[in-house]
Amino acid sequence: MTSDPAPPADGPTRAPDAAADRRLTCRAEREQWQRRLRLQRQLHDGASLRISALVPQLGVVRTRVPDAQPDLDASIEGLQDQLHTVLQELREIARAIYPPVLDEAGLGPALRDHAEHTDVVVRVDVGPERFGPAVEGAAYFAVTGCLAALPPGSPPVEVSARREGDALVLVLSGVPPRSAPVVADQVCGLGGEVTTGGAPEGGTIEARIPCG
Amino acid sequence: MRVALAEDGALFREGLLMLLQAAGHEVVGSVADGDALVDLLAGEDADVAILDIRMPPEPDGGLVTAERLRELHPDMGLLFLSHYAESHYLMRILEIGTEAVGYRLKEKVGSVEVLTDTLGRIAAGEIVIEPVLAKRLVERPRGDRKEAVDTLSPRELDVLRLMAEGRSNNGIAAQLFVTPKAVEKHIANIFSKLGLQEDGSEHHRRVLAVLTYLRSQQERR
Repeated sequence: MTSDPAPPADGPTRAPDAAADRRLTCRAEREQWQRRLRLQRQLHDGASLRISALVPQLGVVRTRVPDAQPDLDASIEGLQDQLHTVLQELREIARAIYPPVLDEAGLGPALRDHAEHTDVVVRVDVGPERFGPAVEGAAYFAVTGCLAALPPGSPPVEVSARREGDALVLVLSGVPPRSAPVVADQVCGLGGEVTTGGAPEGGTIEARIPCG
Repeated sequence: MRVALAEDGALFREGLLMLLQAAGHEVVGSVADGDALVDLLAGEDADVAILDIRMPPEPDGGLVTAERLRELHPDMGLLFLSHYAESHYLMRILEIGTEAVGYRLKEKVGSVEVLTDTLGRIAAGEIVIEPVLAKRLVERPRGDRKEAVDTLSPRELDVLRLMAEGRSNNGIAAQLFVTPKAVEKHIANIFSKLGLQEDGSEHHRRVLAVLTYLRSQQERR
């Protein structure tokens, strides 16, 4: 997830193929998000499903353990617990690659679910509209990256996202504007622009991401 | 208990089927998608239907199938199994019903005891929520809502208790011999005292209030 910290300014003196370059970068970035989405689905449909299927099978084995062997029953139960731990770790990895809720339900539900895992109170104002895997992925990780950079005990943050013409406009309020590069890292590859304003500790970061 | 099962992953479906039988439950049918489950239950009776959330009809066939089943067989319990315990799905499940429903991770119903306990509670009309999810909902964003339950007035507690039983505002009003308007006012006070901000939907806050209450009750026992 590396990209240029900020997009080069578009001046009138730029070479004529700058626009073509940008289109190429955008396409590569969109393909990158598609790859991440596929990997996440593969993790779910393959390894995770096979591991969860082992748990009831072990449960059946437990019913055949003679009453006289409580140790054996306890060891199988221990194995089942360990499989749950493995699955929880796979879920964390899936979330880091491309959150399943983002894929299935969109930006609003995914950000609200994320807010349950953060220490800082996050208010989410995002409608049900869908914007495609690349734009939604970039917006989601821009927000979560920004939240992760907040010091513990920070005041509540507000996140809104809405369509304006052919762009998704993402606004974070109550965040330090110095976190803007975290947002830029995610959205600039897709041709997005980031602006900031307000106080050093409680300002706003706004990103406009073209979404066609 | 009579149980029907719909799950598109063949390995997990077979494993769960064997476990249900080992637990002594009668499995009236085991199918791979939601439409087949509806067809099956047109001819067979079941106490609880077990549904995978993510199965055909795509993308979340378990939820649309459950809506149809609740309509066709209002007394049938619904147990949703999923690979993910997320509040987004819990809210959608509670929109389908707040009585005789359960939402659990697939690998957490892997023993005869847990499976039978979960099915029994659902058949008795309870809401069964994956503990890790219920805990996260009640504890976020701050772990102080439980104490907040103690600040509720006796009448507000009555209202919250009836909400936890899955009753509507009108149902609560009838039970307490007050007007629905008065119930709304109590609910607004409950939300405010429990610190449930207005960013969520009314339904979301209602569920959080109920979960907070359920948890405070559990810890008093």
